[in-house]
Amino acid sequence: MSRQEELQGILRELRQAVPEITGVMVASTDGLSLATDLPEAEAARAAAMAATALGLGKRIAQTSALGGLEEVVVRGQAGYLVVYAAGDKGVLAVTAPMGANLGLIHLEARSAAAHIAQTLA
Amino acid sequence: MSRSYKLVVSGPVGAGKTTFIQSLSEIPVVETDELATEDIGKEKTTVALDYGLLTLDGVPIHLFGTPGQERFDFMWDVLVEGALGLVLLVAGDQPRDFPKARHILEYLTSRHPVPFVVGVTRQDLPRVWTPEDVADYFGLPQEQVVGMNATSPTSATLALIRILELVTGERWQGVW
Ligand SMILES: Nc1nc2c(ncn2[C@@H]2O[C@H](COP(=O)(O)OP(=O)(O)OP(=O)(O)O)[C@@H](O)[C@H]2O)c(=O)[nH]1
Ligand SMILES: [Mg+2]
Repeated sequence: MSRQEELQGILRELRQAVPEITGVMVASTDGLSLATDLPEAEAARAAAMAATALGLGKRIAQTSALGGLEEVVVRGQAGYLVVYAAGDKGVLAVTAPMGANLGLIHLEARSAAAHIAQTLA
Repeated sequence: MSRSYKLVVSGPVGAGKTTFIQSLSEIPVVETDELATEDIGKEKTTVALDYGLLTLDGVPIHLFGTPGQERFDFMWDVLVEGALGLVLLVAGDQPRDFPKARHILEYLTSRHPVPFVVGVTRQDLPRVWTPEDVADYFGLPQEQVVGMNATSPTSATLALIRILELVTGERWQGVW
């Protein structure tokens, strides 16, 4: 199985586990899209933004002595975008509408992120 | 209110933005460099911003560096907000990136018309474009283009003074 197929498989499982999730993406930590179900036009921008959020979150966590960064949550009035660290090289971004079960999303997405980290290692 | 200045440092990948801010900052630079997936001639690349601070002639100068990759252009807008001047860096040995530099310059100055200087890095290396050549390329007066070695605090400070003089219309001593 190619790396691409493996990543797609992980994303598919995540969406099946939490049907409330509306979008998923794996990007490199320097902001290139590796796998996603977003339209291509949106993917490039989303990958860059996910990497920026994670990169900045890392420095903030470091400066505030919070330890290694695990995730950054952006909550708007209409929903969530959560960016998870997936090892040293990857970023997992997940979107969900307001009212979604964030606890369940974290549970499943953290395990997906660990899986992605292995795939990218 | 005591004065302080916010300046933005921008330019293409590898121009030396992060290096320039590291040479000038008196505090540990807040940098957000991550491993580069593509071959860009160096190991890491900035994904969010660089932030450095120094006090020059008793005035705090806040330096905000942008990422150079175009996919991060949303950060250009974020970082230029409230800036009083812009330092646009180009690597003197990478003329292929000059059109990108011009694009960044037009993007930023059309949205935020602030004074700017173009800094030509890598003047310590052989076979580089001189500031005079680059001024011709950009169609700018010579005073607005300054050569430097971004790895040298002294050289970086001279470039910084150039933009501060443009922004303030005053002479700067450049005392750290
Ligand atoms: N000799 C020499 N090396 C330089 C000079 N300016 C930058 N460099 C080197 O060139 C490389 C460029 O580095 P960065 O400062 O990361 O470039 P950047 O503009 O921040 O790049 P991005 O963040 O990827 O857009 C580094 O390896 C620097 O040491 C210079 O004036 N002289
Ligand atoms: Mg940089």
